[in-house]
Amino acid sequence: MQPIPPVIRLTNLEKVYQTKTIETVALSQVNISIARGEFVSVMGPSGCGKSTLLSLMGLLDEPSSGTIEIDGRPVTSYSDKELAGLRNHKIGFVFQSYHLINDLSVVDNVELPLLYRPGVKGSERRRRALAALDQVGLNARTGHFPAQLSGGQRQRVAIARALAGQPEIILADEPTGNLDSVMGEEIMELLLGLNRDQGTTLVMVTHDEQQARKTQRLIRFFDGRQVA
Amino acid sequence: MIRHLITLMWNRKRANGLLILEILLAFVVLFAVSSVGVYSWLNYRAPLGFTYDNVWKVQLNPGTQPAAEQFASLQRVLARLRSTPGVVTLSRSVDNTPFAFTTNTAEFKAREGKNRPDAYGDIYDAGPELRDVMGLRMVAGRWFDQRDEVSARYPPIIVTELTQAALFPDGKSALGQLITDNDRETYRIVGVSGPYRAGGELSEPQPGYFLYISPQDTARALFNLLVRVQPGSGAALEKQLNAEIRAASGGWASSIVALPDERATKLKFSLTPPAILGVVCVFLLVNVALGLFGVLWLNINQRRAELGVRRALGATGAAISRQVLGEILVLTTFGLGLGLLVAAQFPLLGVLDVKAGVYGTAMALAASGLYLLATVCALYPSQLAAGIQPAVALREE
Repeated sequence: MQPIPPVIRLTNLEKVYQTKTIETVALSQVNISIARGEFVSVMGPSGCGKSTLLSLMGLLDEPSSGTIEIDGRPVTSYSDKELAGLRNHKIGFVFQSYHLINDLSVVDNVELPLLYRPGVKGSERRRRALAALDQVGLNARTGHFPAQLSGGQRQRVAIARALAGQPEIILADEPTGNLDSVMGEEIMELLLGLNRDQGTTLVMVTHDEQQARKTQRLIRFFDGRQVA
Repeated sequence: MIRHLITLMWNRKRANGLLILEILLAFVVLFAVSSVGVYSWLNYRAPLGFTYDNVWKVQLNPGTQPAAEQFASLQRVLARLRSTPGVVTLSRSVDNTPFAFTTNTAEFKAREGKNRPDAYGDIYDAGPELRDVMGLRMVAGRWFDQRDEVSARYPPIIVTELTQAALFPDGKSALGQLITDNDRETYRIVGVSGPYRAGGELSEPQPGYFLYISPQDTARALFNLLVRVQPGSGAALEKQLNAEIRAASGGWASSIVALPDERATKLKFSLTPPAILGVVCVFLLVNVALGLFGVLWLNINQRRAELGVRRALGATGAAISRQVLGEILVLTTFGLGLGLLVAAQFPLLGVLDVKAGVYGTAMALAASGLYLLATVCALYPSQLAAGIQPAVALREE
């Protein structure tokens, strides 16, 4: 029986931002494996490369060198279409500033990932979006617009949007960074529940030591290097 | 996806209000140009009903010759010209010769029939030779001839097919029917001719009436002649005709213009207003296009984060490009819907008495042009949107 590959594996990963005059090393020699069902937090000071790491894991950016494997398959040579398909099916994103579309209702926002999945009919999209909203406790707000919601509610919508596509991995970039401690705690409980109850793999960038300690593993970064 | 785009654009209708207004204005401009274009094209395609090659218009000026002597002089001129080698045939005419800027119009009514239909149209004074000079086609009955010299109760008149259809809408033949000129004089129709659009290719086909000028008529059509000449006739014959006229009349001056030249002048004159309108419209459309392009560009830059999120959620670059194009096409449809409401009033109210089909075709053309304009304006911004790097766009927020 073959061993189960890690859901995400980064090998000798480097990311260098180059302009005409300056070369900035954002990440250097990063080697990380995330097992299926793991909840990992990433910590480090501002500018240490945490968000860059998340972008690379989420296939939103290309590494300067090194390889990214998803489910044991290297994806660095994938086409734009293949990468988009992988993001759509396997990865859900939660951002610090929610990134909801203000002109779409809550339920329309949550439907977005399914919109880019061929073959999913409108009725099925709506059903899954409503189920995701139910899961985050926002089924009474489906017709509201983001501007009518509190920060915590908006982040719940963002989580519901990530859940609607039923991804194996959720990448959360400081999901509680814009929230007060009570709301932050609620969101953290929601993420922990997803990991615990559904086995969703989670990678969370955070500045909050307390929340990081609730996850299964903590990775620390400093100046683009993994230090712990 | 279409439902999503419609929802998105509907929710952004206030933010996109100016864009919709701009699209509406562009449609109105395109509709105006298309209406003029379709109207002119349909007129241009309609048969003129006569041939103008090798036909010359001769204008006579008796100068100080006493009026009492003028008819006799004219008779001598006609006889001399008819015998001049190179002249095939000629006819007396009044001022409204083909392609002239003069028109003579009146309304005639059927003397009988339900509601006595009437038809407003052009009147031409015509002698027996006009048919041969201009190559007119008869549909029914006959052209003027010696029979019309015999005094009859009602003077003869020849009408065009279009007149027949207007005065006798039940399909009855016009031959032998009586019509009245605003109830003043009654005429008997002796022939039905094909079209005769002396106003030229761009004039709207309308009913026409030929009133008889007897060769013995001493009052009308004294100073204009239409002369059919041999093909290839040129300046030499023109010079000779002027000399013959002067000699036969005892000093009348004359000027000769070939009808093809008259046609070119008329076309140039008729095309000037549409051409000016076209140029103004091109400028307006360029402005609208630049406006659309600018607004879309700005829009893309303001929505980088949203487009980045869409990429993160699984949209390909091509899908983003299609979305931007789709959005502008949805907005175009909103603007077009309003524009069509405005445009539909033209055929409904019968504005300018133009056929509804002209407006219908113009609406279709304007709508197609508008979609094309919007697509062209959105192409580059959509490419820009497709090129947005999601990681960069999301970091900017």
